[in-house]
Amino acid sequence: MLLSVQGLRKSFNGRTVLEGVDFSVAAGELVAFLGANGSGKSTTLRCVMGITAPDSGSISIEGTALDTLQGRDLQQARQRMAMIFQKIHLVPRRTALDNVCAGALSRIPTVRSLSPLLFPADVQQEALDCLDRVGLADRAFDRVGRLSGGQQQRVAVARALCQRADVVLADEPVSALDPHAAEQVMALLRELAHSEGLAVAAVLHQPDLALRYADRSIGLLQGSMTFDLPSTEITADHLDTLYAPDRDVSDRKSAA
Amino acid sequence: MTPHTLTPAVARRSPSAQTRVALVRPKKPLRWITTAAVAAAVVGLHAVAIEGTDFKPELLVDGWKGMAAFIGDAFPPDLSWEKTLRPGLEATLVTLWIGLLGTTLSVPFALLLAALAAENTSPHRLVYQAARAILSFFRAVPDIVFALIFVTAVGLGPFAGVLALICHNTGVMGKLWAESMEEIDSGPQEALRTAGANRVQQVANATLPMVVPQFVGLLLYRFDVNVRSSLGLGLVGAGGIGLLINQSIKSFQFDSMLTHILIVLVLIIVVDQFSAWIRRRLAA
Ligand SMILES: Nc1ncnc2c1ncn2[C@@H]1O[C@H](COP(=O)(O)OP(=O)(O)O)[C@@H](O)[C@H]1O
Ligand SMILES: [Mg+2]
Repeated sequence: MLLSVQGLRKSFNGRTVLEGVDFSVAAGELVAFLGANGSGKSTTLRCVMGITAPDSGSISIEGTALDTLQGRDLQQARQRMAMIFQKIHLVPRRTALDNVCAGALSRIPTVRSLSPLLFPADVQQEALDCLDRVGLADRAFDRVGRLSGGQQQRVAVARALCQRADVVLADEPVSALDPHAAEQVMALLRELAHSEGLAVAAVLHQPDLALRYADRSIGLLQGSMTFDLPSTEITADHLDTLYAPDRDVSDRKSAA
Repeated sequence: MTPHTLTPAVARRSPSAQTRVALVRPKKPLRWITTAAVAAAVVGLHAVAIEGTDFKPELLVDGWKGMAAFIGDAFPPDLSWEKTLRPGLEATLVTLWIGLLGTTLSVPFALLLAALAAENTSPHRLVYQAARAILSFFRAVPDIVFALIFVTAVGLGPFAGVLALICHNTGVMGKLWAESMEEIDSGPQEALRTAGANRVQQVANATLPMVVPQFVGLLLYRFDVNVRSSLGLGLVGAGGIGLLINQSIKSFQFDSMLTHILIVLVLIIVVDQFSAWIRRRLAA
């Protein structure tokens, strides 16, 4: 397994948010995370990325647990994972190419990263190739702010590729996009998994996207996993358990 | 929330319903006491302030004759080219140059200190505190005081004015820039951090490019302010049109003084329009 996560636990101020999450993602696989708001999907991805420190649990990449690594090795292992955000988090004033180059910053000496004018030529070429892989080579020199939401998210994917990540974690990558752009980005993520062998885990807000694009879907309910099944085996009952608290008026009142 | 879940509740709230929710505003008995206390405090502070500043409008009434004579002497403004107009225009240019250099030459210092004094870009808590302290110092010392200090060091003239503005403006602009960096969306910076970029790389490739419009806007605003401050610096001997205004008052040439003031007025309007124009282009 390219990415495997065991016994992930996390609490904020004494409130348990993740109570032991175990999953793995193989190379060439797109896995979807489903669950109601606050069920811990983002926290799971952030713990795996190391943005949030988990209370306990182990994260392994190709069988090597990250907590056995130190210094440069740990950094290199972490850089095999890239994150895609709902809010995209590109710099709108910079060109698509410059934003993609930023994925390679860890390989560029600090003095050469002070301005895009100083980025090494081979990095720029690689960034252009990455833009080509997401179908946006022709927009390389456009400012990101001028691109549509769907195009921006594809630039963000290209940035992850330029980081040379082989594990891509996406937190609601299509929630801010119109339906057509959402389909395009999901198709791109599936393509990267299936043809390029990336391991992709994506939090999705719409179950139907998960069922159509993901190889496997994982359900999270209040910090625990309720299912981890091939998407073809997910039924309406599975989904009902996940979103039921949201639908029942009396439950919502008592939770408030 | 889906419309589906709302339907029963909406049905229950039809106008024909028997029981309606009573409108009862929660009473807040403490509110008017607080209002009264604040009002009393404000009035009290003003009473003390009026006492402390010898604020006596009757003096103004008594002194109206002096003022009228002064204004009478100033009209008509002295428009003689050799004696007043040319020196005035030349000195105004010097004032403009002082404001320009005082602004641009403080940019490197303000930029460095701002990056160290913004919570999201500072490398360490101690560096943050130190940078904040330095900025506060340069901001707290008025440019006039810096000018007086530099006049003793480098002599009377515009150079002292430029140095004074660099010091004071570094403090003010550094603070304003640090604040605009703290207000910027931290997402892009976090994205680069997860991609393995170091702190300097994050700041250079996410934070700074994000705040460019705010930075340029504040820079123009400070240029505007600094041109006006350099007038005041001239009054204490640091060159420019301020110096001429001071001299014409001291030699009772109020008609020349008025000419100089009118030139200044034009300069300030031009600078103000120029920076407004740039800011509009930037926003577009
Ligand atoms: N930094 C934090 N501090 C405190 N509580 C947090 C923090 N991050 C997330 N939470 C809480 O953890 C729970 C799970 O959040 P999250 O993982 O964002 O859920 P999801 O992404 O599934 O909507 C929520 O109740 C949220 O309020
Ligand atoms: Mg979330």
